[in-house]
Amino acid sequence: MPSDPLSLTFAALADPTRRAILGRLIAGERSVTELAEPFEMSLPAVSKHLRVLERAGLIARGREAQWRPCRIEAAPLKEVAEWAERYRHIWETRFDRLDTYLQQMKTRSTKEKPHARQQRRK
Amino acid sequence: MPVSSAANSRTFKVTTPSDTDIVMTRVFDAPRHLVFEALTKPEHVRRWWGILDDKHSVPVCEIDLRVGGAWRFVGRGPDGDIPAFYGEYREITPPDRLVNTEFFEPFPDAGSLVTTVLTEEGGKTQLTVTASYPSKEVRDMVLQTGMEHGAAISYDRLEEVAAGLA
Repeated sequence: MPSDPLSLTFAALADPTRRAILGRLIAGERSVTELAEPFEMSLPAVSKHLRVLERAGLIARGREAQWRPCRIEAAPLKEVAEWAERYRHIWETRFDRLDTYLQQMKTRSTKEKPHARQQRRK
Repeated sequence: MPVSSAANSRTFKVTTPSDTDIVMTRVFDAPRHLVFEALTKPEHVRRWWGILDDKHSVPVCEIDLRVGGAWRFVGRGPDGDIPAFYGEYREITPPDRLVNTEFFEPFPDAGSLVTTVLTEEGGKTQLTVTASYPSKEVRDMVLQTGMEHGAAISYDRLEEVAAGLA
């Protein structure tokens, strides 16, 4: 598994629970207990997800020993959004390039065909 | 984004007819045997796949066009190599049908089965690409990474958040 920042971010986002956690953090800081509420999941399981998100830099946790609120971090999300913005156009652009390239192929095949027939006749 | 000079740009459509599928259609002004060739020969694929502009190239383009044969494409952009797309061919019926698996390196668990169907009418070819994913979650993840133009997304606020907090 690649460990560059974008891969870490994507790996962290690949899990629906972690995306749901991020979704809740958009509204503001939350404690682990608050974050665990909507999930049928133990606190340690939620903590594990939070560690993945933290390692990917998607969330930061407060220093207060008792409460340690989680908050969302913008930088990696911005990177993902920028990457997604590029990727969104890939298929569209890819097909446009293929279209343009097919015109070149067509031109070439009409030029080559009579020649090929002559070759075969010889 | 370079302005496209391609004639059939507006025929590009993305739909999600079921929970696990993404279907893309596009019309090309070329007979289908040429389209099939353009999709399956490395010397052609290198010329369009991943070439977003002059700063992009396809340094790795391997195609073993046999049932069970592997394919692997790596695109290169101004920021370096883009993670590889790879898979295996399952059905090869030129010029109208190609079935292959497709994986994207960052998500090796989220592979899809891709069925490409080419129909020809009046010298034009309609390309229909159906990507089937193992679950709705995986399919949605792919959509969310921007595969569909203007995709409706469920962790949709991502961009909003990124923009808002930037």
